[in-house]
Amino acid sequence: MYKLTGVTKVYQKGHRTVTAVADLNLVIEGGEWLAVQGRTGHGKSTLLNLLGGLDRATEGTVELDGAGLGALRETQLTRLRAEKIGFIFQTFNLIPTLSAAENVETALIPLGLSRADRQHKIAAALDAVGLTDRAAHLPTELSGGQQQRTAIARALVKEPTVLLADEPTGNLDEDTREDIIALLEHLWRERGLTLVLVTHDTSLARRAQRVGVMASGRLTIRQDSPER
Amino acid sequence: MFFLTYLRRELRRRRRQTVVIALGLALGVGLVVTVAAASAGVNKAEAGVLNALYGVGTNATVTGPPVMTGRFGQVKMGGTGDLMLNAHGAESCQDGKCREVLAGQSVQILGPPFSAFTSADVAAVARLHGVSAAAGGLLLSDSALTIPQKAGQAGGSSPLTAPSPSYFSVDGVDTGHLALGPLSAGTITSGRSLTAADSGADVAVVDSGYATSNNLKVGSVITIGTVKFTVIGIVRQPQTGGSPDDIYIPLARAQALIDATGFAETGEVDMIYVTAASSADIPAVQHEIARLLPADAVTTAAGLASEVTGSVTSAAKLANDLGKWLAILVLIAAFAVASLLTMAAVARRAAEFGMLKAVGWRTWRIVTQVLGESVIMGVAGAAAGVGLGVAGAAIIAAVTPKVSATVPGSSGFAAQATVPGGPTGELDPATAPHVLAVPVHPSVSAGVMVLAVILAVVGGLLAGSFGSWRIARLRPIDALSQVA
Repeated sequence: MYKLTGVTKVYQKGHRTVTAVADLNLVIEGGEWLAVQGRTGHGKSTLLNLLGGLDRATEGTVELDGAGLGALRETQLTRLRAEKIGFIFQTFNLIPTLSAAENVETALIPLGLSRADRQHKIAAALDAVGLTDRAAHLPTELSGGQQQRTAIARALVKEPTVLLADEPTGNLDEDTREDIIALLEHLWRERGLTLVLVTHDTSLARRAQRVGVMASGRLTIRQDSPER
Repeated sequence: MFFLTYLRRELRRRRRQTVVIALGLALGVGLVVTVAAASAGVNKAEAGVLNALYGVGTNATVTGPPVMTGRFGQVKMGGTGDLMLNAHGAESCQDGKCREVLAGQSVQILGPPFSAFTSADVAAVARLHGVSAAAGGLLLSDSALTIPQKAGQAGGSSPLTAPSPSYFSVDGVDTGHLALGPLSAGTITSGRSLTAADSGADVAVVDSGYATSNNLKVGSVITIGTVKFTVIGIVRQPQTGGSPDDIYIPLARAQALIDATGFAETGEVDMIYVTAASSADIPAVQHEIARLLPADAVTTAAGLASEVTGSVTSAAKLANDLGKWLAILVLIAAFAVASLLTMAAVARRAAEFGMLKAVGWRTWRIVTQVLGESVIMGVAGAAAGVGLGVAGAAIIAAVTPKVSATVPGSSGFAAQATVPGGPTGELDPATAPHVLAVPVHPSVSAGVMVLAVILAVVGGLLAGSFGSWRIARLRPIDALSQVA
């Protein structure tokens, strides 16, 4: 699925040069669940952005199914994200003026589906995350957990092959956190997704098949999690 | 439809900003509409004054010098010849034939105040490049003077200052060119106007003021010179401050009256009314006529307009100059405010747009959403702006006093009687400038309303464009990291 070769990402912050990712080599198999841990500012989110085509590597190549993401034009990357990659963010990033169903629908708009097809998929996605009865509610009318479920539904409604989650439980209480992770695990198993999950939470990371640790832009893969 | 749902919800969420932007655009557009309406009203008032002086379809008039020195002959009166007062009364001479008029008797004088043009002159003017029509007119005055006692003696009075002169003006109208000349500006209030079929008939249209003063109505019979004319219509002329002509008769009949006096050549006129092919041709036409008839005065509406003074011209300048620039400045300010607010809104929604880009929305789709919101605000601004503009025009109409227009004096009949060694009297009923009170009626035309809508929508699009520029430059990674 993913192959990263000698990937380096450097940012210029005024006069300072920040190396967010340094000479990273990584292969992520299709259907694998990789958790990436590390302290804040050590490149976890940057890695996720590179995998999602939201950013481009300064050096090296990031390949998804054999296609180098760095060689794609912006419109091609946008199309790739529309069809194959789902994102889940820590802060949910729901549009406050749209209902749960309409927020999920935003992920289907670029695909040019008919209204009937969209409605069918939205209903299925909300059902998969247990939010059928909250479809018409605005984000302000949903709990944190429900908002994150909506975001998960949005990420999965287009049936992507890759799911990238950046601290999906970071803003949730413990019980809700457990619910969300259980949901993600269930969907990962059920759909054979390639799941890359960034988290501070060690207990959460242990549930993944593989755990990597980012430190100063370098990734170290631990052995496969004993729980898997 | 998702696009409309998202648009509607977003405008509702930013209700206050939406209202501010729409109101700002409305203010700018409303001012444009109000200024345009006021300008139209003042210009119409000014044009009304000119049309009344000029005739609606006339762009230029040609007149010769006053007849006292003109080609109609060696006359000292606008009439049939000399009237020399003497000890017994007066001697009236015409074409070398003289007769005594005793004191207490009346003498009829019928004649034109201006020098003549021939029909060839009229035809030559009509053939000039840029002229679409030319017609002759013949302005006559019919005066009855009573010779007073001791008129020719020292201390005696002039027949023109004695209380006995009666006078009325007669305008010979070319019935083949009824769109030209002063009759074209009038409104028939009774009966009918002259037609081409009346060219040889002894019929007359009478001014409403003259009809009232002389108890005339349709069917009445009046005498001009020695000929009886039947009144077929009453006309009300626009107010010009001076006296409109009293009687309008077919040109051919006016020419026949003068022919009968032996005073003029057949077919001569003393005014030429000219219509140019377009307003752009008027200056050139004026120049060509002046070359063709160098001794004569060519007056255009523009020239006459420059002679019209008073608050109507000040108001026109105010509306056209200051009003226009004020409206433009307010519009620019409204556009600037709308643009800044839209850009600020886009900045606040950066994470939202970053997320949309992350889930696969292309830039054009997000830009379309923002532009759609801006267009709606523009349309709302347009609707409110037109309403404000119409209200502004109504307020102006209600509170604005009548403006004054000082128009140049009309060239009335001039006559002069001389007494050897004695006083000289003049009969000149209409030479002083006149001040008119002209109402201003601001009007909002459909064209101005369409312009207002276009301006407001363009303003909304402009504001949306600035916002869109920000969206196009937005990297989702940057937008999302702002939230993080």
